[in-house]
Formats: sequence, structure tokens, C-alpha cells
Amino acid sequence: MLILERVGKTYPNGVHALDGVSLGVALGEIVVVIGGSGSGKSTLLRAIGGLDPANEGSVVLDGERITAPHEKIGIIFQEPRLLPWLKVADNVGFGLGGRPKQERAQRIAAALKRVGLADKARVWPRELSGGQAQRVAIARALVPRPEVLLLDEPFSALDAFTRADLQDHLLDLWADAKPTLIVVTHDVDEAIVLGDRVVVLCPRPGRVFEEIGVDLPRPRDRQSAAFDFVKRRVLTALDRSLARTVTDAAAEPKAEAGAAMWW
Amino acid sequence: MTIVAQSPTDNGTPTHELAAASPWSRLTRPALGLLLPVTLAVGWEFIVRMGWSSGRLMPPPSVVFATFVDLAKSGELQRDTLVTLGRVAAGFACGVAAATIIGAAAGYSPLVRRLLDPTLQALRAIPSIAWVPLFILWLGIFEASKITLIAVGVFFPVYLGLMGAIQSVDRKLVEVGRAFRLSDVEMVYRILLPAVLPAYVLSLRSGLGLGWMFVVAAEFLGASEGLGYLLIDGQQLGKPAEIVAAIVAFAVVGKVCDWLIALAAAPFLRWEDVVRQD
Repeated sequence: MLILERVGKTYPNGVHALDGVSLGVALGEIVVVIGGSGSGKSTLLRAIGGLDPANEGSVVLDGERITAPHEKIGIIFQEPRLLPWLKVADNVGFGLGGRPKQERAQRIAAALKRVGLADKARVWPRELSGGQAQRVAIARALVPRPEVLLLDEPFSALDAFTRADLQDHLLDLWADAKPTLIVVTHDVDEAIVLGDRVVVLCPRPGRVFEEIGVDLPRPRDRQSAAFDFVKRRVLTALDRSLARTVTDAAAEPKAEAGAAMWW
Repeated sequence: MTIVAQSPTDNGTPTHELAAASPWSRLTRPALGLLLPVTLAVGWEFIVRMGWSSGRLMPPPSVVFATFVDLAKSGELQRDTLVTLGRVAAGFACGVAAATIIGAAAGYSPLVRRLLDPTLQALRAIPSIAWVPLFILWLGIFEASKITLIAVGVFFPVYLGLMGAIQSVDRKLVEVGRAFRLSDVEMVYRILLPAVLPAYVLSLRSGLGLGWMFVVAAEFLGASEGLGYLLIDGQQLGKPAEIVAAIVAFAVVGKVCDWLIALAAAPFLRWEDVVRQD
């Protein structure tokens, strides 16, 4: 069980990125965090992962407070971030430092097979396509068997076809060990394909605006009416979460324009 | 400096560049580079043979070659080459050792950088040859002053290269190391070291190029042996063939040394995504 309690984050440069975000995530649940730019989605994920710990509130995993990267938490970034000087297999085994050689080799081979890249084990990362590289990154994060896997817009740099393919693939991999997934995205379709729950954040500072449960059977049909219904709900929530700040922002220049006219 | 300027093009990626090329272009590409010097040499030989020029100040290739053979037969060439090579090796080793330690510290720690870098940058602005009188006063005219001069020449490119490389290590990759909870020591040898290596090797190669430049300067100043001495000897005794032979020896030995560094580093740099040069 992962519990966020009134998590807030202010960067040293004074930017107030997150304010009082509270969230409970059950083991094996898939929570998708969505929001406009500046809503602190990535900040939230980095706080959970311990890369940039929150400076207000707390992140607690199984009773343990997270303030630094933890072995039970894996992270997948927007870019694959493979180490270019390691062959694909060694990249996958990067997090298995202390294990016996044989066990390492077995787990690497199994993971590569699972993501369908068994034939690429002895290849340099630069020889992979974008989708393949991201699959290797997923394998690398899953090999240490994390309890929680954080994904920061993991497929946003890929073309639409590869993206849909990898979303299905991710769900497939998730079904193996059912870790908790927390996915940050700005793609509404992706949010509904993946999530048990979609958390909409509103920007400046990032707050939870609305939580929307996605009660659709898996695998989800992106074309179904039920899918569309949820999608509309999320889009509406997103619109409203942004609208408030839009009017705020729009109000000021208007006032100025009026003042200029008066003058 | 020619050594440095030439090397990246033909030694940078020996393995896959050759593997990608057809057998035909494997032969023609180096041959194309030889076309100009060979034509010039043959042309000059022809001009001198025809009696259009005496070739006294610029001896034709056959005379240079004969001088080369004479020097080799008397053992002088080998002795001078070894002496010069020894000086470059000693100066290079000292310069690289100092530059690596200081460069790594300055790249890694902002405090060390703020402390040392301004002074080193100021020292770098001094033409290294300007140190010679001081080194001779301090260290005498024998080996110590020569090796120090070479070490100073080697130091700066290696120091700058390494410090810059450490500072520009991709922070996203460092973050991967953090996410996998690497210790500081692991971070250094699993992320920083491999990330820095290509730039470090390049800086070693340009440092070595400067080392060869400075050994000549050092040997001009009161040496009794060495390839640089051969140059001075040829000048004073009016033997241009000896000068050219020494220059050729410099080129060959310098190129071989550079090639050895590139060769030694190649297995560690095979991962690099280098743009093919056609």
C-alpha cells in the first residue's frame, strides 16, 4: 500500500509545484495521473520515487517513509535512458548488481524474452528503434521485481501505432506479477486504456482536481461507447481543471487592456 | 599538431567503418590520401634527376632515404629516437597523471573547481615555451627541465578535456544510477567513467600531440642526443637531408604513438554512435 499524505513541493527557485496531494494506492492497482502542463505530474512521480523528495507531507510505502530511491520502487522515464556503453542484456541487468552471475543471466534472458527482444541481447542500444529501446527500459525496471513501478510519460515520444502496441504490452507484463503502477501521461486515451483510476491534477500549484474510476473490463476496446463515455468524463474534468487557471490568466491582461484604454 | 589534426578521420572508428566499407573502398580510401604526397615526392625526385634543381637545400626523396639508412646503420637514428621517445613518455606520463587527478577533482567537485580552475586557466594563457628559461634555472639543462616542459604541454589539454567531460556527463544517465541506488563509488565506475572515456581518450591524443611538439622545443635547448638534436645538428652542419630524415622520423613515431592510444582505447569505445565518414 502506497500512501501520499498532503504531499507538497516547492523548488529552490520558488516554484510551488505541488500542494497538499493526498492519495492512497492499493497493491496491484494502476493509477494514471493526468493534467495540463505545470500541474506537477512529473514532480509528483519524482517525489514518490524519492528522486526529488517532497518538502511537505509524506510518501509512505508499506509503512516506510520514502525520501530516497527505494529498492521496491522502479522508474521508467520518458526516454529509455539506456546506458550506451552496455549491450542490451547488460542494460537489462543493470539493477541486479549484487546477484550471482547465473541468476542474473537467467533473469535477464527471461525478461528480454518477455518483452520480445531475446534476439537483441548482444546488440548496442544505438541499434534499437525507439519502441524497442523503451521495451528494454521496461525490462530493466521490471527485472528487480519492484512492488511499485512509476512511469513518467513513458510512450509520449513514440508514434501512435507503437504507443498503442506498448500500452497493451505493458498491461500484459503487469499481469505477470501485478505490481502497483503509477503512470503519468497527458494522453487521455492512454489514461483510460491503462488506469483503474484516473487522477486529474490542476495546475499551479498542482492539486488533485478529480478522481475518476475506470470500471471497464480488460482488455479495453478503444472504440467502444463505454470507453468513449469515460474519455468524455476525463476530458471534461481536464477542461475544467485548466479553465479556472485560464480565466485567471486571461483576466489580468484584460484588466490591463482596459486600463490602457482608460488612460 | 598535424598529427592531432589528422588522426580522428582515419583512426576514429577502425572497426565498423571498415566493416561497412567494401573491399574496394578499403584499398582506395588510404590510397587516395597517399596520392598527393607521393606525386610531390616523385615530382621532386624527377626535377632533381633532370638537373633542373640542385636539390641542395631540399634533398630529393632518394637522398633522404639514403641518409635515413646511413643514420640507421650507424645506430644514431635508433638511439636518438629512443631518447626522444623516452622523454615524451616520461613527460606524457607526468602530465597525464597530474591532469587526470586535478581534472577529475575539478570536474567532480565545484569547490575544487572554483579553487583551482581560475589559476590553471591563467597559467594556460602563458605560452608554455615561455617557461623554458625558468625551468632551466630551476632544474638545470638536463632531463628534468625537458620532461617538465613536456609535462606542462601535455597537462592542459588533458585537464580541460577531462574536466569538461565530467561536467557534461548526461544528468539523465546519472539519474538512472540514482534510481538504481548506486553508491558513490559505483556511480563513478558504472556511469561516470564509461561516459567520460571517449572525451578523455581524445584529450590524451591531443595531449600527446602537444608532447611531441614540446619535445622538439626542449631538445633545441641544449641536448646532445634525440631527434630534436638531429635537427639542430643538420642545421649547423648544413645537412638538410638529415633534417628531413629527422622530420620524417618524428612524423612516423608520432603517428604510431597516436595510433597505439587509439588502438588501445578502441575496445572500450566500440559502443559509440559515430557518424560514418565517407
